[in-house]
Amino acid sequence: MARVALPVADSAEVKRYAKFLMRKHYARLIEVVGLHGLAALAGLGAPLVFGQLIDRLRAGTSFATVDKLILALLAFALTQAVLTRFAALASTKLGELVLAELREDFVDRVLSIPLSTVERAGTGDLVTRTSRDVAALSHTVRRGVPETLIAMVSILVTGGALVWLSPLLALPCLVGVPFLVAGTRWYLRRAVKAYLRENASNSELLDGLTEAVEGARTTEAFGADKRRKVRTDNDLRENYRAERATLGLRTVFWPIADMGFMLPIASTLFFGGWFFMQGWATAGAVVSAVLLVQQLVDPVDRLLSWMDELQVGGASLARLLGVSMVGDDRKVTGVAAADERLDARGVRYSYVDDRDVLHGVDLSIAPGERLAMVGPSGAGKSTLGRLLAGIDGPRTGAVTVGGAPLVELPLEELRGHVALVTQEHHIFLGTLRENLALAKPTADDEEIKAALQAVDALDWVEELPEGLDTVLGSAKHNVSPAQAQQLALARLVLADPHTLVLDEATSLIDPRSARHLERSLAAVLEGRTVVAIAHRLFSAHDADRVAVVEEGKIAELGSHDELVAANGSYAALWRSWQA
Amino acid sequence: MRPLPVADPGTPEVRSATRYLWWLAGHQLGNLAYGMFFGIAWMLSGALMPYVLGRGVDAGVVHRDLTSLAQWAGVFILLAATQTTCGLLRHRNAVFNFLSASFRTVQSAIAHAGKLGATLPKRLATGEVVAIGASDTNHIGNALDITARFAGAIVTVIVVSVILLNASVTLGLVVVLGVPVAIAITSLLVKPLHHRQVAYRHQQGALTGRAVDIVSGLRVLRGIGGESVFSSRFRTESQKLRDTGVSVGRVDSLLEASKITVPALLMILVTWLGARQVIAGEISVGQLVSFYGYATFMVVPLRTFGEALDKFIRGHVAATRVLKLLQLQPEIADPATPVQLPVSGPLADVKSGLTLQPGIFMALVSDRPDDAIDIADRLGRYTDGEVTLAGVPLSSATREQVRQRILVSDNNSRLFSGALREELDPTGRCDDEELRRAITAASAEDIVEALPEGLDAFVAERGREFSGGQQQRLRLVRALMTDVPILILVEPTSAVDAHTEARIAARLGAYRQGRTTLITSTSPLVLDRAERVAFVEDGKVIAEGTHRELMANEPRYHAVVTRGED
Repeated sequence: MARVALPVADSAEVKRYAKFLMRKHYARLIEVVGLHGLAALAGLGAPLVFGQLIDRLRAGTSFATVDKLILALLAFALTQAVLTRFAALASTKLGELVLAELREDFVDRVLSIPLSTVERAGTGDLVTRTSRDVAALSHTVRRGVPETLIAMVSILVTGGALVWLSPLLALPCLVGVPFLVAGTRWYLRRAVKAYLRENASNSELLDGLTEAVEGARTTEAFGADKRRKVRTDNDLRENYRAERATLGLRTVFWPIADMGFMLPIASTLFFGGWFFMQGWATAGAVVSAVLLVQQLVDPVDRLLSWMDELQVGGASLARLLGVSMVGDDRKVTGVAAADERLDARGVRYSYVDDRDVLHGVDLSIAPGERLAMVGPSGAGKSTLGRLLAGIDGPRTGAVTVGGAPLVELPLEELRGHVALVTQEHHIFLGTLRENLALAKPTADDEEIKAALQAVDALDWVEELPEGLDTVLGSAKHNVSPAQAQQLALARLVLADPHTLVLDEATSLIDPRSARHLERSLAAVLEGRTVVAIAHRLFSAHDADRVAVVEEGKIAELGSHDELVAANGSYAALWRSWQA
Repeated sequence: MRPLPVADPGTPEVRSATRYLWWLAGHQLGNLAYGMFFGIAWMLSGALMPYVLGRGVDAGVVHRDLTSLAQWAGVFILLAATQTTCGLLRHRNAVFNFLSASFRTVQSAIAHAGKLGATLPKRLATGEVVAIGASDTNHIGNALDITARFAGAIVTVIVVSVILLNASVTLGLVVVLGVPVAIAITSLLVKPLHHRQVAYRHQQGALTGRAVDIVSGLRVLRGIGGESVFSSRFRTESQKLRDTGVSVGRVDSLLEASKITVPALLMILVTWLGARQVIAGEISVGQLVSFYGYATFMVVPLRTFGEALDKFIRGHVAATRVLKLLQLQPEIADPATPVQLPVSGPLADVKSGLTLQPGIFMALVSDRPDDAIDIADRLGRYTDGEVTLAGVPLSSATREQVRQRILVSDNNSRLFSGALREELDPTGRCDDEELRRAITAASAEDIVEALPEGLDAFVAERGREFSGGQQQRLRLVRALMTDVPILILVEPTSAVDAHTEARIAARLGAYRQGRTTLITSTSPLVLDRAERVAFVEDGKVIAEGTHRELMANEPRYHAVVTRGED
């Protein structure tokens, strides 16, 4: 089956979304920035008052004056502490609010992805987006955004204070600007890619380890432990290269940035002293300026170190937003189904252009009929099954229920008509009841038990420690693949559409019990239309009609007895089975 | 920096976590020493900065000496350059120390996993081993990484204390005693914060699990319904996580505030006392500036102490977990003096009474599926049992030799990620021609043809891009490619359609011509192709013959194979 990739939002879309979030939380954002600004202002007290103190000390002063200035220092420090506390709390609250909104929004986006995309894209990419990208974004929103915000506010306030103190004394620190600007630009252009590579190589290494443990028996059986070692060493080698690459970037960037931090301190000291000698600045102002410039180092450093993380977060956001960019695949036209007859006429379908896998299939299934589809793998049975379930539309031709094309029905209505169960199954984290009730939220215990009975699952369910309340999907209680298939079928019984498409839905159940299950299921589904793609011949034998699909066409169609009498490929197979 | 990983990680010291860490350290003594040297130089140059700035202020604003001021500004730049250089060299050595230790740990774990083989998944949950890769190797790396800064911190605290005490005993004592007190007060908040952060991460992990669960079951949800239930459940848990996040923020904001208050109080105390000493003429204005700077700077090494202690403890705990793996022993031990197993001969399982004649294509039908699996596991010596090959007990030979003679391939057998060609031929001994023959025998041509890159296509882990039936056929190709003398296939066609199953059954016997093959199955399409079928009831062979003979003469066999119907 051809896989389709999910889209990724472009940077304009990401910016639009970020702006939307900022507008939405305008008031809280102002509060956070305001509090941090005030805290940074209070933080200026120390260097400024200290400068004053130096001036007074040089001029000769009394203990009383010193005490007053010390009290002022104390007042500033405590004010800064209190403001910082509230500013930090406010930004955490805002961060958590936005983060919760982002992840809930993402899950809702996922839950509205068109059915055909879900079936064709597979879940691998989505799982990565859900685990890695949400985690990366979470780090950015909880830590990165507030830290960046604080750093920017601190830089503005501290820099402003320096200019206010003496515009002249602010000039020497500009010597650091070219280093910081050039260094950062150089670094950012390379950092994101390099760190993403590092992360990817870490995941690769971890995947390899997981495989080595889970597949240890296989590795031993094939004497392939040398290959595991080679694979691990290769992963480690790539990890080392990736680490060396980021280390190389830091080796260039750090010294440049350090010069950007340290030169301003030295130049403020020297020129400040010179300005003082010229009588252009007071001694206290010079000391305050040196301290202020030192105080600038930390927020600038923090701002720079978060820049690449913000870019990584932005890339994750783009992947999360991309999920909702899949166009809807259903064109609801308002047609209504006249009855429950399922028809396929002249159906062709291709995954890749010009390579049809179905070549004009005609099939008419009467309400209540049980049709088995058999045929070699790759013949197009599953594709036809998906078309009959209305998940994809045919390239040409039509699949209709009661005259209405399936792909023109709204999803809710389609589900009432037809449902598909494949051999891929999933047990949700939650109780057994919850796992079944999703198909029919109003179902009571009696209905659920009846559904379990219909799939031969009631026996083992009743043996579970907490019956229907047993929590599944966790390490505590693991159900076997066969049991999972039974539950998937029980869900279908509860959903109760008038047509069911079963694509090898019992393939993982032991052949000894599969036939019994199929028969008890058939009893419950009496009167429902069932299309069963089957790989076991007894399923075909028990059906009303059998369709043999070969090379994208229906090669034989008729009852079991008719096909055996016709002496085609089905008959040959049946005879070898019966031997 | 030497390239990593090393070819041979050596034999790890597994007697205790501490010994293990020393063993790691022993392999990288040089880099540890360099790291420490540069760590000391780096931190000392930072510590000297306040002194230089103080002298500069004295030169400029007290003595109005421009030459001296320029000299001190120059010294400051030199000091900054030294700090940067040493800091970078320290960092590079620390990164190497981190990687070297964590790589060696990964390599040791993988080598030991290879030794344990089938025992490993039975004795250790995947999660525990993955935790070794995801966090324990990092913690071990961190413990070695931090040594560089730890050494710097120790030397710096001593040097700065000496300088301060020389300049002014009172102020020196205030700084030397005040800074640890200040750190201790701040660290009181660290523990509750840590607890809440752990709770947060735990809850965050659970929420991610919930989201991944929704995504993995998306086909079901979109196909059958239940989106709104899952959406609102996720929302509820997401809001709970948000509440926990805010409660982390509450403690964290207090910590942030205390990080400002506590050092500030100390600085104010120093400034107050210092200002009085300046008035009294005991110290200069420049010295006061230096003291202000030292008090600020001392926070750095003392915080490093706290960090180092934390990382050493975590490293030790991580090493303990790694040892849990490294100390495991295989369940099936090799005999002290192993004998050579014969290359061929009848393979007999005493308990079930099954004997597999050399060169036969035989099938095994069991009334209970688990019995067939037990017999296969005994024959392959995955569990202990009385099994002989040409009369020699399997238990008297090494496991490795048993594996060379007998291969058991079941449906839990794992497909690994990698290029398809290499996954199908793990020993890499065959050319494409032979590979194609095996692919044809397993009727898997369509799988390879459907892949745009054919045999060069990349297989995702577990082969999850393939359907159950496709995975089964790929497993079969891999088993056939080993060309092993005795091949035991457990239900190799249970998930493939009847057409394909018939083709496989027809081709398998010819492909395995001249070698021994046992296949467990209940499908008449397969059984009819076997030279001989053994029927097992309650774990014992009760009848043997061809499929047709058993169908005719053994009603219980007939019932199992046709599932009790016509």
